[in-house]
Amino acid sequence: MKLASDRALWIFAAAALALPIIADGNKFLAFVLGMTYISLLWATGMNLMYGFVGLMPLMFAGVAGIAGYAVVHLTREFGWSFWLAMPVATVMAALAGVALGLPSLRLKGFYFTLCSLVIQTVLTLAFIFFPTYTNGDTGINQIAPPDWFGGQLKGLGLELMIALFTVVGILLCAWIVRSPLGQRFVAIREDDILAEAIGIRVVRCKIIAFFIVSLYAGVGGCFYSVYIGFVSPRAFDVLVSMNIWLFVAFGGRGTIAGPIIGTAILAPIPFLLQELQAFKDILSGVLIIVVTLLMPGGIYGAWLARRRRTQKAMTDSARVQESRV
Amino acid sequence: MNIKLKTCASAIALAAAALCAAPAAAQSPRPIKIGFVTELTGPWTFFGTSCVAGLKFATDEINKAGGVLGRPLEFIVTDNQTKSDQALAASRNLDINDKVLALSGPTSSDVALAMYGYAEQQKIPFLVPVAAFPQLTKPGTRYTFRIEPDAAGWGYAMAKYIEQVRPGAKVALMHSDAALMRAIMAGFRYQAPRSKLNIVADIMFPQGSSDATVQAAQVRAATPDYVIVSGAGAFDNVITNQLLDLGIKPQQIIHPFGITTQVFGWGQRSVGSIYGTFFDVGLDSLTPDGKDFIARFDAANNRPPSYVENYCYVTPYIFKEAIEAAGTADDREKLRNAISALNTKERTSGVPIVFDKNGARKEYMYFQEIVSVNGKRNYQSKQRFYIEWDPEVIPVYDLVK
Amino acid sequence: MTDAQILILMSTLSTGLILGAIFALVAAGVTIVYGCVWLPNASNGQFFLLASLAAWTFTASFGWTSLAAAAGVLILGTALSYLLEWILIRRLYDTPNRNVAYFVVTLGLTQIMTGIFSLTYAKWSDQFTLPPVIEGITMFGPFPMPNNRLLVMGVSLLVLVLLFVLLRYHPYGRALRAVFQNREAAALRGVNVRAIYRLSFVLGSVIIFLGGILFALAYSYDLTVAWTMSITAFAIMIIGGPGSVIGAVVVGMTFGFTQAIVSIFASPTAATFSYLGAMLLILLFRPSGLFKR
Repeated sequence: MKLASDRALWIFAAAALALPIIADGNKFLAFVLGMTYISLLWATGMNLMYGFVGLMPLMFAGVAGIAGYAVVHLTREFGWSFWLAMPVATVMAALAGVALGLPSLRLKGFYFTLCSLVIQTVLTLAFIFFPTYTNGDTGINQIAPPDWFGGQLKGLGLELMIALFTVVGILLCAWIVRSPLGQRFVAIREDDILAEAIGIRVVRCKIIAFFIVSLYAGVGGCFYSVYIGFVSPRAFDVLVSMNIWLFVAFGGRGTIAGPIIGTAILAPIPFLLQELQAFKDILSGVLIIVVTLLMPGGIYGAWLARRRRTQKAMTDSARVQESRV
Repeated sequence: MNIKLKTCASAIALAAAALCAAPAAAQSPRPIKIGFVTELTGPWTFFGTSCVAGLKFATDEINKAGGVLGRPLEFIVTDNQTKSDQALAASRNLDINDKVLALSGPTSSDVALAMYGYAEQQKIPFLVPVAAFPQLTKPGTRYTFRIEPDAAGWGYAMAKYIEQVRPGAKVALMHSDAALMRAIMAGFRYQAPRSKLNIVADIMFPQGSSDATVQAAQVRAATPDYVIVSGAGAFDNVITNQLLDLGIKPQQIIHPFGITTQVFGWGQRSVGSIYGTFFDVGLDSLTPDGKDFIARFDAANNRPPSYVENYCYVTPYIFKEAIEAAGTADDREKLRNAISALNTKERTSGVPIVFDKNGARKEYMYFQEIVSVNGKRNYQSKQRFYIEWDPEVIPVYDLVK
Repeated sequence: MTDAQILILMSTLSTGLILGAIFALVAAGVTIVYGCVWLPNASNGQFFLLASLAAWTFTASFGWTSLAAAAGVLILGTALSYLLEWILIRRLYDTPNRNVAYFVVTLGLTQIMTGIFSLTYAKWSDQFTLPPVIEGITMFGPFPMPNNRLLVMGVSLLVLVLLFVLLRYHPYGRALRAVFQNREAAALRGVNVRAIYRLSFVLGSVIIFLGGILFALAYSYDLTVAWTMSITAFAIMIIGGPGSVIGAVVVGMTFGFTQAIVSIFASPTAATFSYLGAMLLILLFRPSGLFKR
């Protein structure tokens, strides 16, 4: 069983890296693919927090925004290379994420979510009202693509790089959840009082989770800003957090495949169905409600449950047959 | 059976018609496609839809008169939801999938700036009808051209107007915190001391403000000669009404810009107030074409057009002249050079259209006084002031980053 | 005191009172629903806006008077709340930890309503003002106060008092408080908990709708007011103590006056930041709020 899922993971990784090359013929499809990969990286991070630790960090997009703005600032104002600026910006964003999240860690459930919403709102307001760094509502445009051995990394090269980071992000997530740390995360999700009782240091685990998740948000934010070439406060507002959450919840929280499925289905829709554009918010709102009410396990969760049922039914009937014989 | 027969017959007829139509379609010349990414939903819907109304008028006229280089001009109107990222996605789509010759359309500066980045990077001619943020034509701009004068310049023009009607005047500023208003006020603040004006109060409201009672009282207490009022949306009316409630006279109020619905909003109460504009039913210099446009627009939309509709009416004509000057409709670089070299006049008001090296236009502004407002149907205004200036008469690109 | 000082003082007072009363109303609506149903309604700002927009449609498109429009919106709002309760809200009554689920569901609802508004109403966003119910201006010394705003202030304060009386003395109010304090015990004593849930949701929503109407009568607004109001109402509820109507009134009034006073000295933006900051502090150090319910 474990081997099979491992094989699936490696097949996925190879396919994900090959896809940009195949899609390169159509620049628009290639772009949609690139955006989907960035969303996927974000969804993987969100899943680690929401799916495995059981907290819903609505400030996710805000943390991504800190990194996105920081990388633009570092490359533009200080002339840093993107490849130096990205890790620095990401770590900065992650530290900011931990600092912002630290006090809220003892809150649970609704209060944690509300607190993260407030932090997200503060960040959005800060992006708007400190125009020295962010150029306010207007945003920053003409962000140069990353430098690459004297030239610029754009087009297929950049898409492959994003795909690489996404794949590594997913493999890393898969490795983390299987590690003892991941087991502790799940224990906290299931019952944090019990987890505390059996000796798991809940707050420290949550801080580590916060830091890792913020790294995902940060890397995604850095690539977002150079790939789109434009950042504005709206690119990192609460709707974006909700959307990433939806990718995870729709696909199936707490699994590796779930967010991949959810993102692959939902992320390209707004690009591919231009006519649906105006209804995008309505559609995702409806999906949020439907997922919450009707399929809390998401698509993949529902499929797993069904497979488990049929398998059980099969083994049951087999047992019946055996007993007859 | 009968029904089946009918269906069969109509299917055959349809197929025949399609067969006949196909060669005809093939014969008609390929349209010249231009991407028009504008605000059909979201907070700027009013500007976007007004703009498209003006655009349709001119496109129909041009295509009825034989098109451009014998080919029809087709604007692919796409919604950007007043969102920068959406505008960017739509531009990319129009560029790659529809292979448009040029881009145009945004009426919001923020959205226009997002498209600006794309157009400059991909070397697509980009004609901005209605967006006033200075950075759209910052030094080094090559493919972007802007029809509307830049907003910092409006502030300059306003200071010039006040300097002329009351030297040494005390002025209060009340404005919303939006990119457009920040730019206007930056221009005004820069020019005010040079025009020997005194700014006695300077109040900025955050976005989403809905009350100005306290601030109006503060302004009233500073006893200004003029109050410059520029609120976002309906908040503009709130500031205006609260000032009037407190005993500020309509003659003391200056609005940096006014379009038809804004004048309706200010209403009969504001008769005597001044507003800036670039095209208005009350201009002294309307051409016969301009009067005709106003009459037809009014008949179709039950309100007179203002500068937004006018600029979008002018846009297809600019493309037409530039494409004809370039001699081809398939070369973006040649079109860019032709727009840059253009020397023409607005059909509606005779104001010159000339772009400088950064794509900014030789700038101008009218200041109108409200004479009467008849509900939401029409209004009268009187031209009080006209000024032209070079785009860089004040350091616009340093004032507004 | 000079006239100018009196002018500023009076304008601060009037703004603080009106804004405070409306904040208090909306927050009371939110806090009743949360305290009783355990439903943190993130879409309260959209409800608020819906009422304002509907009132505007009734006056601007149908030519109704503002009073008729207000009545129309309240009737429509009541029907809508029942409908929403029936379709959506009741499905989660028995879910454990339902406040998170409700929060997410109402965030989804927020997105849906935002999307609908931006498709429909956004194009008129520079026109949202209602004609006054009564004309004229009353002078308080040098300060002119439109009678219409006086009316809005009076109605909001009156509704707050009525709400208070209802919760304190009416049998429904007693049942509601019983559910507030202990659901199981209330159920054991024969209170129909689900009926109380339904009633509370409808009551809270209608109060929010009323807040929207009053706001539209006093001020102009645009679509962004929804999000601002959502955040403000949540801040008031958290600081005042979830479920505490007294807390909502006291903190709401404080917020109203803060907004008015801050705008004299600093950019009004500072007020928004201060609400959020205060809410964070309370969330972190005293999640039960300042007032007991």
